[in-house]
Amino acid sequence: MSRRARAVGLALTTAGVAVVLFSHWMMAFWVPTEAAQGVVQRIFYVHVPAAWSCFLAIGIAALASAAYLWLEDERADSAAVSAAEGAIVFGAIMLISGPLWGRIAWGTYWTWEPRLTLTLLLWFIYVGYFLVRGSVSDARRGRRLAAVVAVVGALFIPLIHVSVLHFRSLHPGPVVLKSEGPTLHPDMLATLLVSFLGFAMLFLGLFTFRYAVERLRWRMAAAAPPPGGGAGGFG
Amino acid sequence: MRALARWVWLVAANDLRLEARSRGRLVSMAAFAVLAGLLFGFALDRSAVAGRDVAAALLWLIVLFASMGGAGRTFDPDEEDGAFRHLLLTPIPRHALFLGKMAAHLALVWIVAALSFVSVTAFLGVRGVGSPLAHMAALLPGTIGIAAVGTLLGRISRHSTLGDTLLPVLALPLLVPAVLFGATASARVFLERPWPEISGAVRVLWAFALVAVVAGAALFRHLTDE
Repeated sequence: MSRRARAVGLALTTAGVAVVLFSHWMMAFWVPTEAAQGVVQRIFYVHVPAAWSCFLAIGIAALASAAYLWLEDERADSAAVSAAEGAIVFGAIMLISGPLWGRIAWGTYWTWEPRLTLTLLLWFIYVGYFLVRGSVSDARRGRRLAAVVAVVGALFIPLIHVSVLHFRSLHPGPVVLKSEGPTLHPDMLATLLVSFLGFAMLFLGLFTFRYAVERLRWRMAAAAPPPGGGAGGFG
Repeated sequence: MRALARWVWLVAANDLRLEARSRGRLVSMAAFAVLAGLLFGFALDRSAVAGRDVAAALLWLIVLFASMGGAGRTFDPDEEDGAFRHLLLTPIPRHALFLGKMAAHLALVWIVAALSFVSVTAFLGVRGVGSPLAHMAALLPGTIGIAAVGTLLGRISRHSTLGDTLLPVLALPLLVPAVLFGATASARVFLERPWPEISGAVRVLWAFALVAVVAGAALFRHLTDE
């Protein structure tokens, strides 16, 4: 791993952890308690930033996959697989924190309403990305097929949005990204944005480390003499 | 445009001709559609659940699973004797190849959808099925989307060591919007609701079909690197 990648990854991860810890202090001691839902609403400051980070990761994975399909540059594939792992991790945080809130707010851990269901399905699409990648014997072809899955999966996101508009949903509507501006209390908005900043930096730090490891694996595979004596390759 | 239509027709006609000779895929998909309707008819306690209330959901699930069964075998005839490699050597553009394959699969899905409709309504004892035109308006875009996604992912699953078990894992999450909005539209048709209550779901189905076909046509060339 290059010194630069290690320094950038370490700086982003450390700053991310620090900001996430600070946002937890804010949500525990500083932000006002929401009047209707009470203290359980504070899960929102973990759930929403995790969801945004997951979608950021999916966006990077999809763009990098499209770039890989277009340019056949292995660096784009390394970026795609690193971001896709981030999407799985932050998606898991979103899918775990949401039901914990739902148990108290709705009286049930899970309800088959469109946004929850389709977000879970989106997560499964990225599980499929890794299944495709790992189950094709020709590694280069596996990377291309997985890239196609990542791009198709990202095209799925607008349908999640449309499903929310078309179905009556238990899931709360948007309170930040609205055409008329955020309707959150300013302190709540500040806590949310600080938490998102922390999650985003944490994701980008982990992404940088993972990308550097992936590039290292490529270089090791390229340097290793292949069994037949031909050019090195990476699986 | 005319050249594209010609290529698409040639590929689709070739696939349908092969299917007409073997009939393997159509027979298995059709048998599944009829048997699934029959089994649902037995399994449902109609003293507790009215057939008309569940007919739309069952119709779309049967169409979905039957088309998945067929999609996994879309490329089977071409793989024999390396015919697909020869097809790639022809001047047929990759997107035309995808559209042709999809069109042939879609023709089978339409037959299966018609059979499923008859099977579900007959075995569940549904009376008053609503407007046939409105049912077609919902099924048409939904089946186009299902056929496009199935054809694209069927190609991917062919290369995987997981084989046919991979296809549902990849396809079902992507096809849920089609089933969700399709079942919503069909349920309202069964209940003879007015068109404005149905048209919203149908518009989303068309958007889904458009995205699926364009994405499939654009990405297919990356799945044909033999």
